[in-house]
Amino acid sequence: MNKKSSVLELIVFVWIPLIPLIVFWIVPLLVTVWLSFTDWDYIRPQFDYVGLENYVGLITDVAFFQAMGNTILFALATVIPILFLGFIFAVGLNRLRKTKNIVQSLMFAPWITPMIGMSIVWSWMFDARVGPINQFLGGLGLPQPDWLTDSNMAIWAVVIVTVWKNIGWAMLFFSDALSKIPSALFEVSDVEGASRWHRVRYILIPLVSPTSLFLFIILTLDSLQAYDQINVLTQGGPAGSTRTLLYLYYELAFQSFNMGAATAVAVLILIISAMLALFSMKISKKYVFY
Amino acid sequence: MQKANQTEKWLLFLILTAIGIFMVFPMVWMMLSSLKTTEEVLGSTMTLLPRDPQWGNYSGALELAPFLNYIWNSLFTATTIVIVQLFLSSLLAYALTQMAFRGRQTLFTVILATYMLPAAATYVPSYVIISRMDLMDTLAGLIVSNLVNVFTIFLLRQNFLKIPKELIEAARADGSSEWRILWEIVVPMSRNALINASILSFIGNFNNYLWPSLITNSEENYLISVGLNRFFNSQGAFGDTFPLIMAATVISVFPLILIYVLLQKHFIGTISSGSGVKG
Repeated sequence: MNKKSSVLELIVFVWIPLIPLIVFWIVPLLVTVWLSFTDWDYIRPQFDYVGLENYVGLITDVAFFQAMGNTILFALATVIPILFLGFIFAVGLNRLRKTKNIVQSLMFAPWITPMIGMSIVWSWMFDARVGPINQFLGGLGLPQPDWLTDSNMAIWAVVIVTVWKNIGWAMLFFSDALSKIPSALFEVSDVEGASRWHRVRYILIPLVSPTSLFLFIILTLDSLQAYDQINVLTQGGPAGSTRTLLYLYYELAFQSFNMGAATAVAVLILIISAMLALFSMKISKKYVFY
Repeated sequence: MQKANQTEKWLLFLILTAIGIFMVFPMVWMMLSSLKTTEEVLGSTMTLLPRDPQWGNYSGALELAPFLNYIWNSLFTATTIVIVQLFLSSLLAYALTQMAFRGRQTLFTVILATYMLPAAATYVPSYVIISRMDLMDTLAGLIVSNLVNVFTIFLLRQNFLKIPKELIEAARADGSSEWRILWEIVVPMSRNALINASILSFIGNFNNYLWPSLITNSEENYLISVGLNRFFNSQGAFGDTFPLIMAATVISVFPLILIYVLLQKHFIGTISSGSGVKG
């Protein structure tokens, strides 16, 4: 580490590997910001600068606020159950011995499957008439909602698929965190006769909180990017009830070719993501065990 | 006391197994439905097992769309991408951990920042770049636009940091070039990290949909995710071809299930060492 690297070494080790990062990440991000101040429509070669018009257009558009609301609802409704169930499953699995691995593999399996293929399967499972979910609900004498065509239910269908796919992933992180807790801590609590609730409250939860925070940030960032399941299940409908910011961006950019408005939405998504990222970096410095 | 504990363990085991089965139910349901007749699927009484397994649904699906070709496209692009990513990320991670140059910290911060940002925000300009490069609707276009994987860079950097400095200093004292130190010392010592990064990146690329659906538009260049969704949409509302759609979906999921079963150990043990893939 003492000697400075030569120019040739820097070209090989730094500049060449950086080319794809620059061409397909850094430049596009900057261009996205720039395009959001223009009225480019992709077809015409020329365009004009329109200042903040695209942004003003968005905040005076009802569809934008609906998408914003859907995005927040979707984030909360997916991230909280994933964290909660992932934690519960991990705690349960932690107490199994020989059978732990097989049960864990079953729970994790959804994560590796392709979202497109599995969403197609789920869209059938949600079928109002012959889908297994409604047949099951009907068998129990419960109401059978029109999952994908009722604008109050559709977002929950998308939420269920997303939660199903990601629980196993969160569970693995929690399992890992739990396995690192020294067993001496539990022995002490046994000796002191701590109740089960006390153990969870005062040993488990504090010790997995850095993991939870990390998962919370990553899952929230992920939820902002949800696309495949929405595309297959509802295509943003019915009546825009499952259109998130990202889906709105996709429609504006690649269906109506309104690049100015689309990139303005992209910039907003970028700002939200960047704030979450900064927040996580700030907070993670405060924790010792990471 | 001992006895109560034992019953409790069994109860816990049963509950967790039930949840596990519930989690794989959509996959099981998919496989069973792919072997049913249309009448069975649309029938008002739900049956779990197919009455008479219709293996012909698979050849029927393959006749309607070139799914094997789509799978090949996905395997080929994902594999190529993974290999190039490992090569480039190794170089960069080595530079970030073992070499001295100005702006190293800034470079790392920039890379860290792009990790957190949504890839979709780059799609409009990237789309234009791909068409300017004349790579629209080609597998090459898909490959070149996915060559960087910030997560892989991270994971390798993390591992390269653990390699004892004395080892590298000794190799340098012996006159080894940085190139040889990387490929003959550092990379072999980071075998596990490289395998984990490859698996995660492979799954991400194999399952990737939005970006490939934007830049490919002819059947011979579809990835399986794109081809499957187009097939699904072209079959219109559910109905007659449902078992064929399920058969096609089974074909598309199969490679991943195979990888999962074969590489089980790598998944469970080490996924939590990082945080998944973008895409």
